[in-house]
Amino acid sequence: MVREFKLPDVGEGVAEGELVSWLVEEGDEVTEDQPIAEVETDKALVEVPSPVNGTVRELHWEEGDVVPVGDLFITYDVEGEAPDEAAAADAEPTGDEAAETEGSPGATGADAEEVATPEGRVFAPPRVRRLAREEGVDLAQLEGSGPGGRITEGDVRAAAEGQEAAAGAEPATGEADAATDVEPEAEPADAVAEAEGTTAGTAVPAGVEPADRDRTLAAPATRRLAQEEGVDIDEVPTDEERDGEAFVTPEAVQEYAEAQRRAQEADVATVATGETGPRERREPFKGVRRTIAEAMERSKYTAPHVTHHDEVDVTKLVETREQLKPLAEEQGIRLTYMPFIMKAVVASLKEFPEMNAMIDDENEEIVYRNYYNLGVAAATDAGLMVPVVEDADRKGMLQLSSETDELVTKARERTISPDELRGSTFTITNIGGIGGEYATPVLNYPEAGILAVGEIKRKPRVVTDEDGTESIEPRSVMTLSLSFDHRLIDGAEGASFTNKVMEYLEHPELLLLE
Amino acid sequence: MVVGDISTGTDVLVIGAGPAGYVAAIRAGQLDLDVTLVEKEAYGGTCLNHGCIPSKALITATNVAHEAGHAEEMGIHADPAVDMAGMVGWKDDVVTQLTSGVEKLCKANGVNLLEGTAHFADEHTVRVSHGGEGQGSESIEFEHAIVATGSRPIEIPNFSYEDDPVLSSREALALESIPESLVVVGAGYIGMELAGVFAKLGTEVTVIEMLEDILPGYEADLKRPVKKRAKELGVDFHFGQTASEWHEHGDGIRVVTEPAEAEAEAEADGGGLELDAEKVLVAVGRAPVSDTLDLEAAGVETDDRGFLETDDRGRTNVEHIFAVGDVAGEPMLAHAGSYEGQVAAEVIAGEPSAIDYQAMPAAVFTEPEIGTVGLTEAEAEEQGFEPVVGKFPFMASGRALTTGHADGFVKIVAEEEAGFVLGAQIVGPEASELIAELGLAIELGATLEDVAATVHAHPTLAESVMEAAENALGHAIHTLNR
Repeated sequence: MVREFKLPDVGEGVAEGELVSWLVEEGDEVTEDQPIAEVETDKALVEVPSPVNGTVRELHWEEGDVVPVGDLFITYDVEGEAPDEAAAADAEPTGDEAAETEGSPGATGADAEEVATPEGRVFAPPRVRRLAREEGVDLAQLEGSGPGGRITEGDVRAAAEGQEAAAGAEPATGEADAATDVEPEAEPADAVAEAEGTTAGTAVPAGVEPADRDRTLAAPATRRLAQEEGVDIDEVPTDEERDGEAFVTPEAVQEYAEAQRRAQEADVATVATGETGPRERREPFKGVRRTIAEAMERSKYTAPHVTHHDEVDVTKLVETREQLKPLAEEQGIRLTYMPFIMKAVVASLKEFPEMNAMIDDENEEIVYRNYYNLGVAAATDAGLMVPVVEDADRKGMLQLSSETDELVTKARERTISPDELRGSTFTITNIGGIGGEYATPVLNYPEAGILAVGEIKRKPRVVTDEDGTESIEPRSVMTLSLSFDHRLIDGAEGASFTNKVMEYLEHPELLLLE
Repeated sequence: MVVGDISTGTDVLVIGAGPAGYVAAIRAGQLDLDVTLVEKEAYGGTCLNHGCIPSKALITATNVAHEAGHAEEMGIHADPAVDMAGMVGWKDDVVTQLTSGVEKLCKANGVNLLEGTAHFADEHTVRVSHGGEGQGSESIEFEHAIVATGSRPIEIPNFSYEDDPVLSSREALALESIPESLVVVGAGYIGMELAGVFAKLGTEVTVIEMLEDILPGYEADLKRPVKKRAKELGVDFHFGQTASEWHEHGDGIRVVTEPAEAEAEAEADGGGLELDAEKVLVAVGRAPVSDTLDLEAAGVETDDRGFLETDDRGRTNVEHIFAVGDVAGEPMLAHAGSYEGQVAAEVIAGEPSAIDYQAMPAAVFTEPEIGTVGLTEAEAEEQGFEPVVGKFPFMASGRALTTGHADGFVKIVAEEEAGFVLGAQIVGPEASELIAELGLAIELGATLEDVAATVHAHPTLAESVMEAAENALGHAIHTLNR
């Protein structure tokens, strides 16, 4: 029998995910828990396992589609049971249902209320009906997303976009019947031909070749129309003649202008694929990059950032780490500076609770957190990710070290789960790995603070010995850049927090007391 | 082409300057098309010159006189004297103001105005004859034509409008003296409106109607207050009768009637009437003016009643020839014609326009007035809806009571599921104005809740619309919910 499988919530509260790749094909035998697809949600790439043993009957989406959680994802014939035709008929989306799942004009949301409207009556205001005529959308084919199912301007625009897509692409499933149902009546087959024509790079769609005449008869208003449309009247194709000369009507001008517009739009679409244009390349702005961008934008536009910079002499820290490193290695742990920094930060956060707080904008409250989840920003091939080490205050140096290492590795390998990327209360980012001294880190909103640490470099420093004698010595120096939410934290507090972090890093033995 | 004819060309030729034609011409002009508008008689057509506007002018004027003389209840005692010639003169001034306005608007929008009668010579040419003999004619070549020649009153056998005592609505609205008695043939909206006018002016009015009730096509509960009020004004009704002839009798005429066919079969002795009157007004409907156009020369076809059939763009069977207004068939309403005229002009200009309304309003200026739009309850059921209906009587309206006119009600019909408004019927004071809100509600896909939750000013008649919507939702405040 046929089993439908809807895209599950692959991360906590994720509403949709981008289908990166199918790992199976139609007709493949699959076993329960076998990965069938890779879906990128939020910041993580997740493998979707098969819920059953069976044969893949139909893949309902194409790679690159953004699939809403809860939408029909894949259909199986369940192994060991003969296909049940009646059940298949029920389960198989046909006609309008199929159209819906494939992004038809009518697919305006799973919750859209169905309104049984007699006599093909549509509830849509006049301007929406006009728009539908403009776009060649059949209102009777739409389900409205407005109150009570009223058809809105957005519904018509979405349908029009759907039609364009349908005209330009092969049906995903190859099922001719379903594709026919999707095809809007008003969009003639030649639209497909035109789209194909433009993909080939011609300026004007096939069948609408410029006439290139020397002389054309037309009414003044027709000439004016041509001028307005930016069309050369001698290029407008026509079959009509007056006194043996070609005669162009306003309709012919409109039709030609429209054909040119479509051709230009198709050109733009073609350029957007990156296949043309030797000096530039375009890619869709989506996925992780988009998610990061949205987070950055929100952070910068919501929280006024202030960045405080300083340097800290970590010569003792370097020595301490050198002493402890072999001991850690004996336990199979590669000890980096990060756990020391994390410890120093946690200890400082305890003294400056605002830095571990956040502003709840909606409720206009400041939320102080009595737990310390540290985000550790990591650069990955897919972009910036921030794995979270939970309860950093309760963990020892080695545990912090191994846990951070493990999370960062998972992030780089794109196997990290969305849960492991959420819930941080303060973030540390290491900018030293690549180079540079200072940075202006952007808050991992809604956190109040983020600390960027630079590379530890040997620098000359004025050192005062016990006798008060000053000398210049080569020392190990690390830069610190602390950004904080100026709504919550004043400059002096930011500096004091940084001083406290510096104190711990300068005198790592103090961490023993933590 | 006749030798000596002047031949000109135009993008759009509009034939007839009534509310369909002049609106089409102005809209086409706005869309930068070269437009020529041909009118054989007067700008504004029947509506402005012989129909809507003069009748409404006289209805208003007679209402003023009548109400002033019947306001004892309000403590007003007056005996107004009506100068019929003065009243008609005022009406003519209103008409002139409007028709000259139409002419100015046409010119301001670049419309070429041409007086004369148009006949098609072929599918891209009309001949326009200017006035009488010797005034010449000209040929106009057009890319597109819009036929907007309107309609004329239907004549019935033995009642020629050429005869002095026989009036069409047009002559009735131009009378310079008040007839003592009048037989009105036909109880449709024109007959009922004019019966009311003359009854209020003191004329003894008798209405004969072939059917069994007034205002065919309207629901019984809408007709009831109108018929009741007409009777209060002294109008005498005879239903199931047709006018068969008239002849001079004494100082006036005698109109002879026969029972309508079904009635005659039932009553072997005939049962006809003889009604004496000064004049007889025939108001039995209107026929399209399509027989003067030589349509066959252009290949344009009509139906068997002479109407030009059109598609939802206003096109006739000849693609570049359009027809709008009364000549294109029902609904024969001025505002429908104007709407169709705009659509035709926009289609010609290449705009994505279409005749695409959800509901066409209608207003009858009887007393009380009737306003309707969209579906009745029965029509909604026929179309497969499960209608819900809300009603509010004007007796419960504070504003209606203060106008002294509290007969009638507002009725809203909506579909049950989402509450979309499907139609409305109003009989009562200012029904012709009130209906507009519900037309808008239908077009916008508004629901009962939308209408009910829209705050209406108090004290106004429009509150009744809100109350009717609340009634349909079961939470009316000022009436008991059904």
